[in-house]
Amino acid sequence: MFNYYLKLGWLSLRANPLLSLLMVAAIGVGIGACMTILTVNYTMSGNPIPHKSDQLYHVQLDSWDANDPGEDGYNPPDQVTYNDAMALMNGAPGFRQVASNRSGLVLEPEGDDERPFSVDVRNTWADFFPMFDTPFLYGSGWDDTADTTREPVVVLSRELNERVFGGEDSVGRTVRMNGLNFRVVGVLDEWMVVPKFYDVTNGPFNETEEAFIPFNLAVDQELPRNGNTNCWKPPEGDGFEAFKNSECVWIQFWAELRDEQEKAAFSNWLDAYVAEQKELGRFPRPLNNRVLAVMEWMEDRQVVEDDAQVMLGLSFLFLVVCLLNTIGLLLAKFMRKTGDISVRRALGARRSDLFRQHMVEAGLIGLGGGVLGIALTWLGLRGIEVLFGEFVENLVGLDWVMMLTAVGLAIVSALVAGLYPTWRATRIMPASQLKAQ
Amino acid sequence: MLSMQNISMVYRTDTVETHALRQFNLDVGEGEFVAITGPSGSGKTTFLNIAGLLEKFTSGRYELDGKDVSSLSDAATSRVRNEKIGFVFQGFNLIPDLNVFDNVDVPLRYRGFNGAERKQRIERVLDMVGLASRQKHLPAQLSGGQQQRVAIARALAGEPRFLLADEPTGNLDSQMAMSIMELIQEINRGGTTIIMVTHDPTLANLAGRNVHIRDGRVSDSDADTQLAEVAVG
Amino acid sequence: MQFGPIWRALMRNKTGAILIALQVAVTMAIMVNAISIIQTRAEAMARPSGIDEPNIFYISSIGFNDAFNERVAVEEDLAALRAMPGVVDALQTNSVPLSGGGWSMGLQTEPGDDMDGVGVAVYFVDDHALDTYDLELVAGEFFSPTDIEWREGSSSTWPDRTVITVAMAEALFGEDEWRSGVGKTVYINNNEPMTVTGIIDRMQAAWNGWDGVERTMLVPQRTLFGSSRYIIRAEPGLRDELMPQVEEMLAQSNKDRIVRGLRTMEETRERSYRGDASMIKLLMFTIGLLLLITALGIVGLASFSVSRRTKQIGTRRALGATRADIAGYFMSENLLISGMGVLLGAALTVGLNMWMVDAFDLDRMEVWLVPAAMGVLLVVGQLAVFGPARRASSVPPAVATRTV
Repeated sequence: MFNYYLKLGWLSLRANPLLSLLMVAAIGVGIGACMTILTVNYTMSGNPIPHKSDQLYHVQLDSWDANDPGEDGYNPPDQVTYNDAMALMNGAPGFRQVASNRSGLVLEPEGDDERPFSVDVRNTWADFFPMFDTPFLYGSGWDDTADTTREPVVVLSRELNERVFGGEDSVGRTVRMNGLNFRVVGVLDEWMVVPKFYDVTNGPFNETEEAFIPFNLAVDQELPRNGNTNCWKPPEGDGFEAFKNSECVWIQFWAELRDEQEKAAFSNWLDAYVAEQKELGRFPRPLNNRVLAVMEWMEDRQVVEDDAQVMLGLSFLFLVVCLLNTIGLLLAKFMRKTGDISVRRALGARRSDLFRQHMVEAGLIGLGGGVLGIALTWLGLRGIEVLFGEFVENLVGLDWVMMLTAVGLAIVSALVAGLYPTWRATRIMPASQLKAQ
Repeated sequence: MLSMQNISMVYRTDTVETHALRQFNLDVGEGEFVAITGPSGSGKTTFLNIAGLLEKFTSGRYELDGKDVSSLSDAATSRVRNEKIGFVFQGFNLIPDLNVFDNVDVPLRYRGFNGAERKQRIERVLDMVGLASRQKHLPAQLSGGQQQRVAIARALAGEPRFLLADEPTGNLDSQMAMSIMELIQEINRGGTTIIMVTHDPTLANLAGRNVHIRDGRVSDSDADTQLAEVAVG
Repeated sequence: MQFGPIWRALMRNKTGAILIALQVAVTMAIMVNAISIIQTRAEAMARPSGIDEPNIFYISSIGFNDAFNERVAVEEDLAALRAMPGVVDALQTNSVPLSGGGWSMGLQTEPGDDMDGVGVAVYFVDDHALDTYDLELVAGEFFSPTDIEWREGSSSTWPDRTVITVAMAEALFGEDEWRSGVGKTVYINNNEPMTVTGIIDRMQAAWNGWDGVERTMLVPQRTLFGSSRYIIRAEPGLRDELMPQVEEMLAQSNKDRIVRGLRTMEETRERSYRGDASMIKLLMFTIGLLLLITALGIVGLASFSVSRRTKQIGTRRALGATRADIAGYFMSENLLISGMGVLLGAALTVGLNMWMVDAFDLDRMEVWLVPAAMGVLLVVGQLAVFGPARRASSVPPAVATRTV
């Protein structure tokens, strides 16, 4: 019977093309508006590393001022101090753990004509690459001995490798940055995480870095730092050594903990560490360490912007208006078919038959609206891209999940809109005569 | 075949009560061809709607094919209409968006026949009404007589025991009307019980029995005399 | 036109009317709240940065090897920049208003670790700041050349004097007492004293979304952070001509550094408020589309209602109704429906606004928006129904006698 209803629906829509088109357009526009905004929200709130997001934990220690709430109120700061980062790297029992921070260096290409240019850099540890499953085009990450020997090694992004080495396998070659010669050990393949969960502090929708170098090397060489730094009291004295020993937070700390046991062990270690530090007069606030999995951390940071949420709310209300419109038009359409319906009833159609027939017709309109909606969503996303520019470049992709969602949402919306008109249609009495008006 | 006892039908609005049928009694036997006549407003249409299970009545008892159909659910009455009753309407009531084949197909779909069975039945009844070659035409492309033949084919496709015709020739010229009446008589000869509502005494005379309705009641006094009066008036 | 009979006729056929009224109501709720957001954004964007935006541009200089002597480079660069024809003045600093990246500290009026500080944006400048930014000194004195010191990247101490904005002075000393701030001592890093020597009228911080965006302090230091920013103010009309010249001059004069990030203040403002500007456009587009859809809905259902009542209209015409009477009937009908819609809409609007204020910390809407939106929607409704109403008025009286 379903095919029969499809055929009837199609015939009915074709019989009144203008009205049908209007309904398809109303649903399509509503879906387009919703899906455009939903896509941006969905990408913002997406899971950047789904296969192991529940094994990766962001670590916070509450080393902040007892008197002043920080930027985060009485929550622990979002980054850790150098001393704490090093203590954790050396002693904490995580399966893998990585302290890293953002930096920017100047790269001097070979050849006299090439001008030096600046690159985004991440200072990090050998475990960064296996921990975050970075894809490699050539070579690999550095061996963890490089972390301790402070060997000048570098992993390049695919783009930087294109720019400096024309895309060749550059493993073993040298790049000069800030006066240091770095040996290339690996080149990443296209690697993009949205949101950039491992450093939300410096911009959750920034690009991933162009080069990765050993953290200890960067500290030893006092290479410039480029990221957010927060201090609740000034370093005691001048110089980098004083800064390292200060209460300033500037390092993001992540741990890979494979199960609850590892997590418990890690948390216990943290608590013990903080207790020990309290003895030494640090950590003036009550014990408040946090170990949050990727998605908990994204939630905590509210990486989905308020604007996007406001627009999402408004766009759903917009869809409501479109649906009210569709209900009206469907009602008009079905009521014009009073004659047909009463004849069908006389010929033995049950109410349930008519119900299904008209819901299928509404569903067909929804399908049309969904397809139009996808096209409009694509257009809408291009519009958002034009409006907001590079800030949203990574947020305006349309994947198959969203396309299916669009069609699904459109059909469901149309069915919801069709309910009342269909119910009215099934209430039409069977009749032996078609009454005029 | 059909038995109505003390059927009453009262239409109520806030202010007015209209008695469309009062204590209406009628028995129709298997294979009969009965014509129902009566002046405008006499209750003919109400009778037809009740007989065809299109409308519920206020009180009384109605048996169709030996079964009480007075208090069936909506779905059950639909089933009865679909399987046992064929309708032929004055206005043909073809569905304008569907072609001839699909119009005849409508009751068969609700009957749940498979595709092959439906096709075979549709072709047989269209052949019977002489429209086998017009399967793909839309109603608007046919003459009135042809449209009514399609409607009759549609009514017969499910092989109902019982055909209800409401002024089947009312919208046709006399020549076409005669050919439709011949078709109906032929169907009756095939064993189908027929009740035809009409105001035309000549047509009524083609039926085996005439029942005259006046003021919502069967007027038992000599039906032929009544008809003669109407004809003269 | 009498509303009584129209109302009674409506009540006998409610569904279409209810659908339209609901559409009008939701449209109004979205419209008013969107406009309220637009207003807030537009106001934020209209705040002046306090500096001569049309003529200012800036560029960064980053040393990258040991041969780079930053102190010498900065002095040479500033001398060269200030000597360029077309340059009004130039200085070296750490950050640019509205650029998104900067340095903030806390100042307090009493020393002590347990005293609350007032957040403030820090700009390191020299004695050319008033001229370069086009700031107005409203109290006290500005820095003299002898006040200017050098600041190392890892330095944690502060010079003994500062100039702050009126907004910062108000936050520290009280709304009406800000003038009294001149000569007073404030404490940075809880305990380190600085004297407020002067107060400037206005200069925005780097973050436009910060509620203290006008709380700024100027510190008389040139920085040795490895990377510097030069702010250059051009004579009116010469900015675009000067920009490439400045870039080339800096790039050629010292090969141990790179220059990058050449950008005008105007572009910085545009980038800073891009999110807000885009939000405004997006919301305006939404409002437009929404009004269009609602209008189409009104046209659709009114047309349906006209075609359903063709015979009735013919009868009325036959009974002596003029064309204007018929058109008036449909216009009045719409006025009734839209009227119900905007009344319901007013309630919905307030509800939605209360929720949004609560959930997203938005500003409460201005009350006059509600009656204004009611008026707009009533007008839109009348315009939308005009077409169908005119079609209704052209139904000939002869329809009355036609069967079917």
